[in-house]
Formats: sequence, C-alpha cells, structure tokens
Amino acid sequence: MLQDSSIPNSVPIASTERDQRIESIRSLVQRASHLLPSQGPIEEFVHHNTLHVYEDRPFHQAVLDGQKQFQAEPYLSEAKYRQLCAEERISDGDLKAVVASDLGEASDQIIAGLATREQIRMEMLCHPILDGSAAELQWIIHECNALTRFRPTTSEESQENIIRSTRSWVGKLDAANRKLLPELEELRSKIGHRRSTWNASDWETFALHSLWNLCLNGVEKLPRCEEKPLQFVRPRDVFLHTTGEDIDRTVNEILIRFCGAFLDQGFSDWHLPNRELGFLASFTSLHSHPSKGMPPWFRDVPQALSELSSSGITPEESIESSLSRLGIGEADREEFVSQTLLALGGWAGMINILETHRNKVGRPVPHGTLIEFLAIRLILEEHALRHLTRETTSSDGSIATELSHARKSIVHRDEIPAERRGFILFQLAQFLGWTPAQLSELSPEQWKELADEADSFPEIERRRTFHEAYERKYHDAALKAVLAHSHRVNHETQQSTQRPLFQLVTCIDDREESFRRHLEETEPRCETLSVAGFFSVAMYYRGAADSFFQALCPGVMTPNHYVVEDVGYTFERIHRDRTRLRRRLERANHAIHTQSRTFFGGIVAGIGGSLATVPLVARVLFPRLTARTREYFGAFLRLPPVTKLQLERYQSDPGPTNGHIGFSVDEMAENVVRMLQELGLLKPEDFSQLVIITGHGSSSLNNPHESAYCCGACAGKRGGPNARAFAAMANDWRVRSKVAEANIQIPDDTKFVGAYHNTCDDSFVFFDLDRLPASHRNTIESARVAIEEARRRNAHERCRRFASVSLTVSPQDAIRHVEARSQDISQARPEYNHATNALCVVGQRKWTRGLFLDRRAFLNSYDPATDDDDHSVLLRILSAAIPVCAGISLEYYFSTVDSKIYGAGSKLPHNIVSMIGVMEGTSSDLRTGLYQQMTEIHEPIRIQFIIESTPEALLSIMDRNESIGRLCRGHWVKLSVFNPETSEAFVFDGNEFQPLDVSLDELPEMTSSLECYQGSRANIPFYSIVEPPRHRSQPLRESLSEQQFGAAGAR
Amino acid sequence: MNTSTILYLLGVAVVLCPTMLVVGLGLPLLFGRPLTESTQTRLAKGCAYLGLTSAVAILITMLITGIREVPIEFGNWVEVHEEGFHFHLKLVFDRLSVPFAILSYVLCGTAGAFANIYLQGDRGYDRFFILYAFFMLGIIVSTVAGTIETLFFGWELVGLSSALLVAYFHERPGPVRNGLRIWSIYRFSDAAFLVAALLLHHLTGKGDFDILMGEGTWPNGTAVITSWQALPVGLLLLLAAAGKSGMVPFSGWLPRAMEGPTPSSAVFYGALSIHLGTYLLLRISPLLNASPTLSFAVVVLGAISAISGSLMARVQNDVKNSLAYASLTQIGVITVEIGLGLRYIALIHMIGHACLRTLQLLRAPSFLHDHKAMENAVGIRLNTNDCAVPKTTSPLQLVVYRFAYERGYLDTLIDSFLVQPFVKLFRFFNECERSWTEALSGTKPDEQRQPSADLELVEEMV
Repeated sequence: MLQDSSIPNSVPIASTERDQRIESIRSLVQRASHLLPSQGPIEEFVHHNTLHVYEDRPFHQAVLDGQKQFQAEPYLSEAKYRQLCAEERISDGDLKAVVASDLGEASDQIIAGLATREQIRMEMLCHPILDGSAAELQWIIHECNALTRFRPTTSEESQENIIRSTRSWVGKLDAANRKLLPELEELRSKIGHRRSTWNASDWETFALHSLWNLCLNGVEKLPRCEEKPLQFVRPRDVFLHTTGEDIDRTVNEILIRFCGAFLDQGFSDWHLPNRELGFLASFTSLHSHPSKGMPPWFRDVPQALSELSSSGITPEESIESSLSRLGIGEADREEFVSQTLLALGGWAGMINILETHRNKVGRPVPHGTLIEFLAIRLILEEHALRHLTRETTSSDGSIATELSHARKSIVHRDEIPAERRGFILFQLAQFLGWTPAQLSELSPEQWKELADEADSFPEIERRRTFHEAYERKYHDAALKAVLAHSHRVNHETQQSTQRPLFQLVTCIDDREESFRRHLEETEPRCETLSVAGFFSVAMYYRGAADSFFQALCPGVMTPNHYVVEDVGYTFERIHRDRTRLRRRLERANHAIHTQSRTFFGGIVAGIGGSLATVPLVARVLFPRLTARTREYFGAFLRLPPVTKLQLERYQSDPGPTNGHIGFSVDEMAENVVRMLQELGLLKPEDFSQLVIITGHGSSSLNNPHESAYCCGACAGKRGGPNARAFAAMANDWRVRSKVAEANIQIPDDTKFVGAYHNTCDDSFVFFDLDRLPASHRNTIESARVAIEEARRRNAHERCRRFASVSLTVSPQDAIRHVEARSQDISQARPEYNHATNALCVVGQRKWTRGLFLDRRAFLNSYDPATDDDDHSVLLRILSAAIPVCAGISLEYYFSTVDSKIYGAGSKLPHNIVSMIGVMEGTSSDLRTGLYQQMTEIHEPIRIQFIIESTPEALLSIMDRNESIGRLCRGHWVKLSVFNPETSEAFVFDGNEFQPLDVSLDELPEMTSSLECYQGSRANIPFYSIVEPPRHRSQPLRESLSEQQFGAAGAR
Repeated sequence: MNTSTILYLLGVAVVLCPTMLVVGLGLPLLFGRPLTESTQTRLAKGCAYLGLTSAVAILITMLITGIREVPIEFGNWVEVHEEGFHFHLKLVFDRLSVPFAILSYVLCGTAGAFANIYLQGDRGYDRFFILYAFFMLGIIVSTVAGTIETLFFGWELVGLSSALLVAYFHERPGPVRNGLRIWSIYRFSDAAFLVAALLLHHLTGKGDFDILMGEGTWPNGTAVITSWQALPVGLLLLLAAAGKSGMVPFSGWLPRAMEGPTPSSAVFYGALSIHLGTYLLLRISPLLNASPTLSFAVVVLGAISAISGSLMARVQNDVKNSLAYASLTQIGVITVEIGLGLRYIALIHMIGHACLRTLQLLRAPSFLHDHKAMENAVGIRLNTNDCAVPKTTSPLQLVVYRFAYERGYLDTLIDSFLVQPFVKLFRFFNECERSWTEALSGTKPDEQRQPSADLELVEEMV
C-alpha cells in the first residue's frame, strides 16, 4: 500500500543528498523530454524534422533508433517497395548499384562456392522472401504448396536446371547404391520406386523436397543463433503481455481529460479550478475527494493524493519513491521514464513546449509541469497496477514482487529455430538454381557461411537497400536533368540582352514552381526569381482589420519591429463605422456560438435553429456560390479600398505604440540590400521596369492544420504584408540612395509592387497599385494579363492531382474548382501543400527555366558571380534554405512512412481540443505530424539540394554552419553541386564530393507544360519545354473575354 | 387518380427510396463488386432527392386538402393466431411524422453530400455508405411508423448502423470499444421498448398507435387505456427514449459517439439519432395525457438531463464533446416541453435544434479559424475574458465543477449498477447450467473447461 511504503517524510535526509536526488530526477525527465514531439500549438504550424532528437547521428541509424524507441516504421514496407519495383519506379540497375556500393570490395566474394554475395543479395531483393515465426513456417511448409511447387517468381532456367540435375543426382546415387536422406526415401516410396513413371510434377515435388531437407539438415547442425529476449521495462508492458489488460487505457483516460482542461487556452466556459497552483496541486484538489462514482481502481488515489500534498514532498521525490515501489532498477530508469512519458507523448510533448516556450500561447504552464505530470502518472499507474494484480492473482503482495513473478512467467524463445534459417536458404536455392547435388557436397563451414550471409541481409536491411535505390532513381534523374537542361540553355539559346518586361519575385516554395513556369510560358519576356518568402522583412504585423500583432518571419527569428496597416484620412470615418459594425456582428456571432451551448441560449437558438438549414445546405452543396454571396453581402463590412502601411519609424527605439512603429531608413536599406544580394540583383541592367514581390499563403475551411499550408518562411502565416512592406521600402528614394552606398544601383524607372498569391484558390492580389506612376501603366497591364492566364493554367496543373476533378477539365473550370475547393467545408484536401517535394535547386533561374519540375522542387535564386570569396551570400541563403526545406521534406517523409506514429493519422475523426491541437474522437493522445490525406500522394524520399557552386564552397559552409554540416554529413539531405558552364557535377557522399561521370542524354522535349502533364495523375519525369513559335496572344484574349480579370483585381 | 391514391403512392415512395438505396448499395457489395464512388454518390443523391420531394409533396397535399392523417397499410407480415401475435406493418403520415421525415431527408441528404467529398478515397467509403443507407432507412421507417412493431424495426436499424458508424475506424481499439458500449446501452433500452410493446399488445390487443391513442389525430388523441395501464407502458418507453437520446443516466455514450468521421457524428448523433427518443415520446403523447404521473416523470427526467447537460457542456474543452453535451441540454429541455404538453413547441424546437447542431458539428474543424476572425473583429482576446469562475474557488464551485468534469460519474454508476449485476447474473446462470450438466452427464467438475475467454473479452469491451 502507498501509506506503508517508504515515503521519506519521517526520515530526515541531508539536504545535499536530497538535492542531488532531486537533480538526478530532473535531469532524467529533461533527457526524456527530448524524445517528445516538439510540435507547438496547431495555430502556428512549423514543419520540422520529426526525428530532430536523433539529428546528430546518420539518417539510417536514426530511423532504426526511432523504430526501437517509438515502434515506428523506418521505411516503407517491403511489399510497398516491391510494388514500386513492379511499377518500375525502382529499377534493378539502381538496386544493383546500391548493393555493390554497400558491399564494396566484398561484392564478388563467392559464398560456399555457390554464388557471389552480390548475387545472393540481389535475389533476396528481387523475390519476395517468406519468413515468419516457426509456427507460421510449419503451416507454409505443410499446408501450402511450398514443397510441391517452385516459388512463383523462380525463373524457368533455375527450375529446369534443378530438375535436370536432381534426375542425374538420384541416378548417380542409385548407381553407386547409396541411400538418400530418410525423408526422401519415404517420399520416393510414396511416389513409386520406378522413376521412369514419374511425371513432371512428381519430379518437381521430389526436387523441392530434396532441397528443403538438405537445407534443413545443413542448418540444423550449426550452432544456434541467439534471439534477443523480450524485454519489458514498463510494468504495464509486462502485465499487458501476461494478462492482456492494458492499464494505459484507464490511466490515459484520466490524464487526457485533465491535460485537456489544464492546457485549455480558453475553449471551455468554466476554467479548471486552482489551475494557477500548478498541475499537481490542481489535480489533487480536483481528485482528492473520494466518491462512489470513481472507477474501482481509482478509489485509493484520493487518499494517496491528499497524503502527498500534506506530506510536503516535492514531485521529484514522489517520482523517486514511485520508481522504487514499481521496482525500476537504476539502470532502467531513463528508459522507463522515456517510455512512460511517450505513452501519452502528444500531451506530454505539448506540456513540454508550453513550459519551455512560454511566449507561444496566452496561457503558458509553469516550469516543472512535466515533472508533476510524470509524478501524477506514476501514482495512477501504481494504483492501476495494484488493482490489476489484485483482480488477476487475488494476492496482495507489493507491485515489485508481483512484477517479478510476472516477469518469470514470460517464456523467452531465445534462439531462432533452424526452420527459419533453412527456409530462407531453401528459397534462395530455388531462385539461384542451386541443385541438390551441390548442396549435398557442402561442408558444415560452408553451410555456416551461407546461413550467415542470408542472416546478414534481414528485412530491415533489404528495406534500406530498396529505399536507397528508390531515391537514387529520382535524384540521378534530377541531377542529370538539371545538367542537361543547363547545357542546352548554354549552347542552344542565345542569351537575350533585352531588359525583361517585368520581374516576379516569389517564395522558394515548391508550389510556386509551377506558377512561375506557367507565367514564363505565358509571357516569355518576363523573368522570375525566388527568395525566402518573408523578403528579409521580419516584423510584427497588424492589419487594419486585425486586433493583434502577429510575427511574420521564420519561426527561429524574433522580430524587433512593428508594422501596422492604416486607412488614410479619407476613409477613417467609414473604417471606424465598419469596425464598429463588424465588432457588433461578431459579438452577436460569438454569442450565438457560445450561448447556443448553454441552457437558455440553447432554447432560443434551438427554436430559431431551422434557419441554420439555409447556410448548412448552401455551404455543403454550393460552396463557391455561397462564398461569393457572402462576399457580395459582406462588402459593407470590408476594409476601405485604400490602406497604407505605417512603415517608417520616427522615434529611435522600435515598439508597438505610435511613433515607435516601423523601421528607420537605415534599417529599411539594410533589408533591401540583404534581399537584393540574395537575389543577385546588383547592377542597374539587372532590374526591369517593374518588380513584383509576391508573398504567399493559403486559406481553407474546416482545416485545423490551415497554418501548415501557409508560408513556412513566415512561420505558418500569410506573407502578403512582407511583400508589400518590401516593395514600399525599395520604392523609397532615401532608401535607394542608402542602398546605392552598398554598390547596388536600382535604376530610377524601376518600381516595386507587392502582391499576394493564395496557393489554395490561386487568387492573386496586388497592393498599392495606385502609387504606380502612369509610365508603368502598360507594363502592369501586361503583367496582370499574363498572371491571370498563369494562375488559370496553374490551377489546371494542380487539378490533375485531385481525384474528384476530371482529367479533361478546362483551365476555366479548373480555376472555378480550386476556388470552390478552398471554400468547401467538406473538403479534406483543400490543396496538397508540399506533398511530392523532393528537390531544391539553388542557382540562377535561367538554368532551370523551361525545365518541367512537376511542382516538386524548391527553387532558390543565387548567382555565384555576385557572391564574395567567402561565399557569405550562399551561406546566408543556405542557412535558411537547408534547415527549412529539410524540415519540410523530413516531416513529410516520416508522416508518410508511418502515418500512425509519426503522422497524425486520418483527418476524418480529428477534433480540436483546448485550442492547441487535435485528437482522434474525444479521448485520444494529441496527434502531431501531418495527417494522412495530406501525404497520400507523397513519395517519401529525402530532399536533394542541387546548388550552383563548387565543392570547396559547400565544404567550407558545412564547417561554418553546424546545422548544415550535420544535415548533409548525416545524409538527412542529399547534396550535389553543379557548374552550368562546364556541365560538371559533384555529389556529396557524406565526407567529400565525388565527380559525377556519366554521359548526359538529351532531355525529351515538349512544347508546353500542359503537354508534359496532360492526362496523368502520377508523378511526371523531367522535360525541357521548348517554346513553340509565337502565336500566344490568341488564347490569351479568348480567356480574358470570359472573365475580366477575376480575382486578380487590384486592392 | 384521386387524392388518396396520390398520397398512397407518395407515402410508399418515401419509404421505398431508402430501401432502394440499401438494395442498390448493398447487393453489389454482397457480390463483391462494389460500385464506384461516383455511382454510389449518384444513387444516394437520387434517393434523397426523390424521398424529400415525396415527403414535401405529401405535406403540400395535406395542407391543401386539409387531411390530417394518412395511414398506409401493408398488412400483417407475421401472424400467430393462437398467441394473438401479429407483426403489422403500417405507416402513418400526420403532422408529426411528415415534418420529421422532411427533416431526416434534408439532413441525411446534406450529410451524404458532405461525406461524399470528405471521405473520398478513404478505405471505408463503401462501408460508410451502406451504413448510411441503413441509417436512413431506419430513421425514415421509425419516423412514419404507424404501429409499435414497425417503429421497433426502424429503431433497431438506427441503433445497429449508428453503433457500427461509431466503430468506423475499426483498426483502432478505441472506436470499437466505444461502438460496443453504445450498442450495449441501445440493447438495454431496446429491451425496455420491447417489453413495452408486448405490454401494449396485451392491454389493447394491437400495437397500432391510432387505436392505442384512440380518437383524434396527433396531437389531439386520447388514450383508450386507463391511467394505471398507461404508467408502466409509458415508463418503459421513457426508459427506451432515455437510452436512445442519451439522457441521464445514459449520457455517458454521447462523447463516445464522436469517434466516427465528422459527418456521421454530426448528423447521426448531433441531429437525428439523438432526437429519436424525444420523437418517440411525442408519438406516445396521448399516454402522457392519460397519466399525470407519467408526465411528471418525463418532466423530471428532462429537467435533470437539461441541467446536467448544461453543467457538463461548460467544462468540456474540445469542440465535439461540448457540442454533444449542449445537445443533451436541449434534448432535456425538449423532453420537459413534451412533459408539459407543449407538443408543437417541442416539435419546432427539435427540428430547429437538429439543424443548428448539424451545422455546428460540420463546421467544428473550423473552430480556430472562426475564433481568430471573431477575436480580430471584436478586438479583445476572447479567451482571457474569464468571469465564469473566479480565481479563488469556493468549495461549492469545486463540487459543481467536479460533478460536471466527471460527467456526473454516470459511466461508473452504469458499470456498477447495471453492467456488473448483469454480468454476475449471467455468470450465475452459466454456473447453474454447468452444474446441471455435470449432474446429468456425471462428469467431474474439474474436467470442465475454464469459463470461456470470449466472455471475458466481451466484458472487457463493455
């Protein structure tokens, strides 16, 4: 019982010893907390490497450690890879190359005189290997046709070879009057002694029996391999194994409900009593009164809790005494604590985040909450275990003794049965055409060699090999495509010296790749560039219709500056009236929402509730029409047509109040210089008349993960204001003169315009067009026309991935579809976000312009010619690009290979809880990672960076930036550099760069993107898009007449 | 064609549509050739539209002609003369059933359209839609049932399909366990229903509502049985209604029903399934008129449910749970209204509540989106506006909070007062049977096998 155990309240302990023990528990929990998911509140979703905790070790090691710690899949399943082989997504050539490079020198080593190691491994990869427990194999051997028919994938050649040689082998043995193995003699007597009467299938049966018995005999004599015994650190696992009862179910139920209430950011009307006293005190005050209504196992908990609170011992000491009562040895403690926290990892992880990043939410939790959480959890587990042992064994011994009884009762199979090893060799013999004669000649040493060889290539190794080959095919093709395309650009097209009509700067996001490609196809005179989508403007921003500042910059930065959107004097009054109206309406709306859940409010709302049928039916059946209607009637609530950014600061120090808002001219110039350097725009001839800076974001309904779809460089928010702010800064004459001091000459006639691209409904909005001088009127008009057409085509390309859209849809219907999609409350896939991302090209756009990358590539502008000798610009670009893109790629990887443990499972039962995350149903762990509908079309491969630079530059950057070095050297990302002038490329192997020596093939040519992807829903190979002869003004005018500008209107 | 033929045909169409859907979706599945997703959608859409049109047409015809009740006979399906038992299939269209049928069609149709996109490409798509069809058939049959046995038939279909929809994600243990628990509670209330039906047959010789309710159309009927006869029947039916509507003490199943995909929790639990209990009470309202005691019991049960529900809704911190308990509150209020004899208000309240709740549940995943929009417009952080509970908690507040937080301890109460005695009783029977068999066959007790593992498994699930 709890009270008679050794709670050290009566024993005085030397304070130093006590402090030490407390400290040791703290550090235990601290270390374990690193294993918890580090995803913060869902409103600010930042993609990150799911296995960040293991980032210090190589990728393949880390996924195996992940498997051990989280029981999560490291790769796709073997069956899935085989299916990819059958679809030729994985080629035999790549498999062979991976196997050869794994084995190195040893690949030609001949095993037991039968086959080379490489041959054996290849056969094990090419044919499905049956394996399983001894009982399963018994069934396969005795009940299936494993011993009467060759494995279905065995080649004709091997089959004939085996049967032919079996015939002569039996003949020879008979001639020499030697006996066969007893099992074979028995079989022979069954079939009939006269071999001449045997038909083909008799021979097949006989040959297979011979092989099987020889293999089994050969392996049985070998020393047995030890199998790792089952080890359970947690008592819960021991009892789950012995009794089938899971105490986690009952304990979790209590904790989920309490964590939900404790972490609540304001959902429920009544707050948890005594929340401000902390987790432990609040839990105690809630649960310390015994009641009949408690489940039986819980009945002693109130007493234990009151004793805990009255004894005045710290949570750490409580953990310590729980550990000793549960009989956890000193050596197992760390593992035990990790596993216990991971039993409700989502909630524990959220507590950890809210405790360590206290600025993330309105109601953070005090430090030490995770320790209190663990203390409570252990007390609950203890009582649940005690109840369980009483129920099942009806004895009243201490948990530790019951536990040791239970542990003893677990029977360990400590060796791998000979059947398993034999059966693998038996299958190999068939695939490789080994004959009974050959096998019967093998010595025990050779059998051992053979069996060890097969053991050295277990399922997990095979999956790793498949995975490497899977990635290799795409990465090779990508690198060659970039080289081949840049070669073509170098040699075939003459470099135009003409000034571009306009320039469009977007985020590096993979979703903008297709938009840029379509824009360049529509308007070949334009140029596109890309840079991290906060455009070097890190700020807290408050829109005119917003009430609060939000940070618009990458998650790792903390902005110093504040920017607000203002309405001018002209519209101030209208704005005030509308704000008031909006406030009243939303107050009413809020009242309806909350009051309809109460007693009296509910009655009123219920009786008038029939009115809800209208929005209900309209929203589900006609989402686009409903959205348009709402927009139409919402016009009197909208912001005035003209607003401006309050961007310039008049006081010296930045802050959120009047006068302190904005940037100083020097700071603006600094931002502008930084971004122009990254873009490589330094000389006057680099700039066109019009530079459109385009932020991006996404909006969708019924999507708790909405933030994950927005701009990653703005920490999951919309990047429009950053683009607008940058354009305003770069247009300022004072800023320009300061920028000129940094040797960047912006021509006087160059104007910057901010814009916002919504990647979900493909709408495109310009900011501050009124400020554009009349001289630019024609340019902006042609840009608008081109963008209008590009977004239509972009929507069309996106629609091919949506199963609900016909492949023959027209661009006009496609844009209508994506508009409806973003407004549809029943849509579980508003867009596919970063799914299928696999590549990041850092270099000048001209090398990839016209290369069909299938929305799979992040593109980052970089011109090595404008960089200094230290490659400081490249370092700056990569220190953002590599961690961010790797985070996205790896999060997609892990959520795809194991959507249950690393991912968030299916979206369908998701339920927002405490305003910080989602659960499945109403009582589950917090689900972190990406949900299955988001990743279903993703190919889980690591991202490859193709950088226009030199090996030396990259090696020095890896040394200078620890995070880049870790990701590249640990193979978390693949890295290669290329030189477009010489068409050379180097691939990084983890230590150094190896030159790529392959002949480059010409890329297949297409005349437009449409031609590349038309009629297919699958991933598309690389193509060079060669511009057809110009007659493009025709279709443009046509589509314009259908809908004048549409959503591309100015604001 | 005269009016009654038209009404007859329309009435048949109302029930035939979901039947066709069940057959159309079910048969191909049965033969292992599932239809494509788009065909299933078209079928579901067609049936919902046709059924809705027929129901609306009936309403219009009834309004024009002034007919207040349209009975449609399908005759006796089973007759056991000696025992005086018969299974009488009969539909009634009146002021109660027609609005409710229209509501069912509107909500089912919307849910079908929603689910079609929401579940697209999901492995369980076919399963969802066949259960959806069964649910629709069940709800329509129970709505327009003219005899208690017809109502029971629909009632069972609703129960079965709802429980299976809760267990939709059957690869996880949680939903399966919760589905089973809901199914057990349904069975319990079904038993009460069945006993009531038999009692009714004994008392009146028939299960027809119009005979039981005597003269006059709904809601003006007067029962032909006496007050003391009405009480036991009414109480049993009240128990059945309480189980189906998740009223106290059965409300423990409400949050568990939220395990399924959002559209099924929204429409089936938020809107239709949960109102079936109150619909039953409305249907038997002449019984309530006959017995003031019964009316009083209904009011009390409703009031308790409403108060508990409103307390519990206040402490929930996730969207679906808080809506589930908010529904319970209104179900309680509707029950009180029925007990007080406010039949039309109850009907309007029911329909309005069902629509509102469906909309709220379907939009539940937008909560954060909406919340942000509201905060921006209102200009204050809505969640720091905490005035409901002051910082220092008084003992009374703690008690109330604890009651709401523990959901009235109802799950454990049901476990210890319903499940445990039940299991014990049947274990006892099992024990008796074993000893008799031993005595008769002369085998020794130790040769008997252990109590079967399945039994324990089932208990664990419950």
